[in-house]
Amino acid sequence: MIEKWIGAALVIGSCGVTGFSMVAAHKKEENALRQLIRALDYMECELQYRLTPLPELCRQAGGEVGGTLGQALRLLSRELECQILPDVESCMNAALSACGDLPERTGKAMRRLGASLGRFDLEGQLKGLESVRSDCREELKQLGLHRDERLRSYQTLGLCAGAALTILFI
Amino acid sequence: MKCAWKELLSILPPWLAAEVERRDMLQELRLRLDSPPELVFPEESQWLRRAVSRADLLFCVNTASRYSPWASQTMASGYLTAPGGHRIGLCGETVVNRGVMTGFREITSLCIRVARDFPGIGENAAGLSGSILLIGPPGSGKTTLLRDIVRTISQRETVAVVDEREELFPVEFRQSAKRMDVLTGCAKADGIEIALRCMGPSSLAVDEITAEADCEALLRAGWCGVRLLATAHAASLQDLYRRAVYRPLVKAQLFSHVLVLHRDKSWREERMEL
Repeated sequence: MIEKWIGAALVIGSCGVTGFSMVAAHKKEENALRQLIRALDYMECELQYRLTPLPELCRQAGGEVGGTLGQALRLLSRELECQILPDVESCMNAALSACGDLPERTGKAMRRLGASLGRFDLEGQLKGLESVRSDCREELKQLGLHRDERLRSYQTLGLCAGAALTILFI
Repeated sequence: MKCAWKELLSILPPWLAAEVERRDMLQELRLRLDSPPELVFPEESQWLRRAVSRADLLFCVNTASRYSPWASQTMASGYLTAPGGHRIGLCGETVVNRGVMTGFREITSLCIRVARDFPGIGENAAGLSGSILLIGPPGSGKTTLLRDIVRTISQRETVAVVDEREELFPVEFRQSAKRMDVLTGCAKADGIEIALRCMGPSSLAVDEITAEADCEALLRAGWCGVRLLATAHAASLQDLYRRAVYRPLVKAQLFSHVLVLHRDKSWREERMEL
């Protein structure tokens, strides 16, 4: 009998953890997008005032935001400094592959950023940054729609799914 | 002879860097789309086998500008200065906006001139008193000689260098200059004013006087107790007299000494006459 109870607890626990981890992933995505917006703001100011070259700009922006996104930007800076790949897009792809732990939507936004960086003059580059930033804002808006209900339902669904499976198995 | 070799190799695609490595006498590297690279040495040219692709040209331009077109606005003037002071001349299809060239739609040729430093070659010239103008055809070593003159003079007095293109004193060549202040990136005419007003130099050095504005700025800086050191494009004194842009300088007799350089890197002093 005791084995059954332990099994039930494990099933409910693991399903619950899945629900909670979905909530954590959602929050992580939101945080990463906010960090990216902050990094883009910083890059815009820096570009307008100092016309900072891209490797230095990415390193500084990475230091400014920290976390996984900061690490991705620092990796991009390192790729650019190495001067092995022909363009920024390839450098960004290499940096994101090495970084690995970036949430999906932020990763996509970073790839879009990579495609726009280092191709235009100052005016064009600022427009490129603004375009990625407005995409990030839109993503954040989407994530924020019915946020609380959605997060609560992930947790509840996890626990309920665990309970349902337990009943089925018993 | 010193050369920022590592910086040169870093702006070349890996396959080309491997071919160019250890060719110490290399003066120029000419890359043309769909043609083999031309390696120019003092006495001869050599061609490699593999043809240059669009991606190779893009690689050179991107790495030389550190992937930052906004920080290399000289592209609109048809050149880029790579780290180490190596100058990259650009050719291809230009973009012209309202009559002004703003950049390149496609780059099809690059001429990479290897920056070199020969410590000691300017010692004799640095001993001359008064302002010095160095003239010579492209590739005769005007910048290299001026660099060493400045370095020698900087051992005993303060020299302000207005280095618009960052070719005269890239960071790699600054170590042995003792009393030297370098202003980079801004137009020569503005830089001359700033250096004169703010840095209190005994000598002021400018590379490649090419525009009327540069000559006017030099004339304003002249006869105020600051020695001028400059280079100009002219194969001989006669050519210098013929070029309208330099006439005000000749007329004002701003320079006490004119050093005429030749393609074989030799030079002789000549006196400017009205």
